[in-house]
Amino acid sequence: MSLLAAIRKLWHSIAPRSHSDVEEEFRSTLDAYQEDLIRQGLPEEEARRKARIDLGQPAAQNETYRDAIGLRLFDELGGDIRYGLRALRRNPGFAAVAVLSLTLGIGATTAMFSLIYAVLLHPFPYAGADRIMNPVIIDEQHPDEPSWFPLSKAQFDDLRLAAPVDSPLGFNNSHMEITGGALPEEIFGIYLTENAGTFFGVRPLLGRNIEPYDAENGGHSVVVLNYHFWQRHFGGDPHIIGQTLEINHAPYTIIGVMPRSFAFNDTTGVGDVYLPGSLMRGLFNVPYLTYIPWIKLRPHVTLAAANAALEPIVRQFARQHPERFPDHWHLALQPIIVPYQQETGRTLTLLVAGVVLLLIIGCANCSILLLARGRARQHELAIRSAIGASRWRIVRQLLVEAVVISCTGAVLGVAASYWLAKLPLLLSPDSFPAESVIRINAPILAFSVALALLCGILFGLVPALRLSRHDSASMLPGRQIGVVAAPAKHRWSVLIAAQVALTLLLVATAGTAIRSFLHLMQMPLGYDPANVMKLGIMLHTHDPGEWGRIQSREARTAYIEQIREKIASVPGVSTVAVGTDATPPYTGTESSFNIDGTRDREQPQARVMLVDQRYFAALRISVLEGRIWNTDENTRGDFIAVVNHAFATRYRSSFNTLALQLSIPGLTSKNHYQVTSAQSTAARQIIGVVGDARNDGVDRPVVPAIYVPYTAVMLPYVQFFVRTQGDPLTYLHAIRGAIASVASDQQISNGGFNGTFTLNEAIERDAQYSRQRLFSILFGVFSAMALALALVGIFSVVAYSVAQRTTEFGVRLALGAPRAHVLWVAARIALVSAAAGIVIGLAFDSFLGAVLAHWMQSAFAAGSLFAAAALLALSALLACLLPARHAIAVPPAEALRHE
Amino acid sequence: MYSPFPHRGEPLTKPVELPQGTLEMLILKAVSLGPLHGYGILLRIQQISGERLEILQGSFYTAIYRLERRVWIKGEWGESENNRRARFYSLTAAGTRQLKAETAKWTDMAAVVAGILNKKADEI
Repeated sequence: MSLLAAIRKLWHSIAPRSHSDVEEEFRSTLDAYQEDLIRQGLPEEEARRKARIDLGQPAAQNETYRDAIGLRLFDELGGDIRYGLRALRRNPGFAAVAVLSLTLGIGATTAMFSLIYAVLLHPFPYAGADRIMNPVIIDEQHPDEPSWFPLSKAQFDDLRLAAPVDSPLGFNNSHMEITGGALPEEIFGIYLTENAGTFFGVRPLLGRNIEPYDAENGGHSVVVLNYHFWQRHFGGDPHIIGQTLEINHAPYTIIGVMPRSFAFNDTTGVGDVYLPGSLMRGLFNVPYLTYIPWIKLRPHVTLAAANAALEPIVRQFARQHPERFPDHWHLALQPIIVPYQQETGRTLTLLVAGVVLLLIIGCANCSILLLARGRARQHELAIRSAIGASRWRIVRQLLVEAVVISCTGAVLGVAASYWLAKLPLLLSPDSFPAESVIRINAPILAFSVALALLCGILFGLVPALRLSRHDSASMLPGRQIGVVAAPAKHRWSVLIAAQVALTLLLVATAGTAIRSFLHLMQMPLGYDPANVMKLGIMLHTHDPGEWGRIQSREARTAYIEQIREKIASVPGVSTVAVGTDATPPYTGTESSFNIDGTRDREQPQARVMLVDQRYFAALRISVLEGRIWNTDENTRGDFIAVVNHAFATRYRSSFNTLALQLSIPGLTSKNHYQVTSAQSTAARQIIGVVGDARNDGVDRPVVPAIYVPYTAVMLPYVQFFVRTQGDPLTYLHAIRGAIASVASDQQISNGGFNGTFTLNEAIERDAQYSRQRLFSILFGVFSAMALALALVGIFSVVAYSVAQRTTEFGVRLALGAPRAHVLWVAARIALVSAAAGIVIGLAFDSFLGAVLAHWMQSAFAAGSLFAAAALLALSALLACLLPARHAIAVPPAEALRHE
Repeated sequence: MYSPFPHRGEPLTKPVELPQGTLEMLILKAVSLGPLHGYGILLRIQQISGERLEILQGSFYTAIYRLERRVWIKGEWGESENNRRARFYSLTAAGTRQLKAETAKWTDMAAVVAGILNKKADEI
């Protein structure tokens, strides 16, 4: 038997018989019986009649058939759905408003769900991502700052053998440059142990992963590309596999391109390229390779058990290399999601609360619309019930109509959510893992379908129960003419009041979010970020010739100064300063220091920043006391320092700041670029105090800071702070040229952790700033939607009731009622319930203020609450009066003819 | 006058009302004796029962459709005794098994119930 025949047979056995087949069979039975009756002597006409009386009509037989095989419910539901769709088509205005109400709610909720799914439930593309741990060392003196620890190859192998470990991954980051092109380009490379392919379990987009055999012969010169790097540098060339990429003057064969979702590693920097770890031995000429480990645990191993099993092993490592570990520490395995969970979880909770409110408001709106429209449909429903429809049947019909609306809304909402879900990622990219990719998938679709059904039943049930509850007799004689109060009013008013109260809550939340964001924006920064750009450069660590030339401190300072001067000579550039790790609003390295050589029991900490004397002018940081060091002092790297106001206030209680001397042990590391003058053990003289510039984030208080000439410690990278006239980025090309005129192959960083951007961009990247902006924009959008929905609700209730009561108003006017009174009668219910809603909302909000303050880290302000209430009251009044106007606009005579 | 649908006013004998589900069993039995069209099944059941069963037309075809859906009987178009097209039903293998099982169950149950009902007071 062929497959086709098999399928046909299967279909035949499950498919219902055709309409005509059932009818023909029944007709043949009918005919046989009729003939029997004629044979028994009945006249033909009477036999025909009797057969039909006894057996029934052929036309009805198909219904009996479908009922018998259990299809009746489907048929009826299908009919209900068709009827519901027809009803919607007949009332396009009603349908559009109802569907739109739900589209907003369901779209926003689905978007949030897909965001949660992508960010919290499935943020990483790795196989067994929930078992991947980031082992960190917790310094017991500074438990808030867990640190990573490097492992040697031998230690790494020890770790591999530990009982709870499924497999470890080792990685090491390195700044590299792409050479061989016109200008060198800085990239971020990550060396991976060669088990990376199986550890991640991510299928490459093109080519292959790094595999264990890439470790042979000291490591194959191969490279796997990050998706974005591939897009940026190669324009997404699909034939890239097998081509050569020159990195640090050595050729590498491109063996693979990772998919977009793979962005290892978001915490320490996303790599542009991934290389076999064994290559490090040859490149760095080090006695042992070091790796930062990630550990994938075996399935069903608890965190506590794994911690207990690994702690002794790491203790052993600490005995081998005590210099890499703090004095008192313990090991903690951190699931890799942990860094995101806390802040992102809080952000998402707030947003979810917002969308759920929006959804409830949307549902309430649909209920109101259905109730309002239901009065126009009472006639139709009365007829249905009069000809035998049960109440359940009518409730079902109305519910199906509601579900038809909600499903239409869901379809549009899911489409909209695709874009909505990306909004938070665009607005606050640093709050979410780089690897979370928003996509519409089965769980999200299932969620939205469930949501649609739930909403349909939720908002459809009240109107359905209400409208199906009347005796047909009182309704049938036709619509009443005259002055009859509508009995269903109070249900609208409850819904409207609830809707208005919830809207007020959303509007007030939005107001608070916007206000605190504005507050954040207006906060004095202590420096002027406008028109200042940061340019990072990496000195030539990989070019032996160039590198050799700048090995002495003087040569390196001269080289940096030369570049600085060239940049300063570009027309339009006003000031150029040098600094390392000094980009506000988050600057400096937390270091301990001693005042006047005394060693306190509790060692004071301050942010140490390596800058030149022009830094303060470039960022417009004011000098409060004393002076800034001069050019000569800077070139020599004298033992002097400038402190900020916060430092002065903290330590002035016992000393005059300018008389203070301090030493910073962290700066006297075994570094041969270090100044080795007779002064090297001496303390630094504080020569000036400058104003507080934000150095711990835009919203956090300024912490004590010490500015030291950058020549004190020569790092292999520096940043230039360039103040220009107008947008600094427009000077980028000229500045590149200026740098190239000093050293043709000196690259400048583009993007990434050490990259080029303006100081305004640096503020926008601040976590608190971007989160606040996210809240203000999203809640602004939510509350605008909610407000629109609430107003539509009020508007349609008044409009419907005015349309229903045209006759009544005509009578009132004809009998001489003042127009203002009629207007009041028309708008009264909606106005009163809106007012009640505002009062309830105000009471509710002041109760919720404390809760919100906790979640949003900013409290409700009475101002924004009352502003929101006033806005709502005004717009509710408008929404009432606009349709109510029609009540008095109609001439009484026409109104009386209305029915 | 003969009719498979007795008039309520003038029953020949007292009609027996069928317990739930027994009509299906009777149809299986009727069909087991050879393929029959719908009207033929009706006549045969009437005939075997001595015309004492009252079969409501609605429930009759409903039962046929259900049996066909469960693949206990299968319908095929053929020619009737007076050269009309008619749908003939015959028992399938599953239907044969079902009839056997139902018959056994019914006989057992009838025997047990009859046994209990026929007990005299002194026998208990």
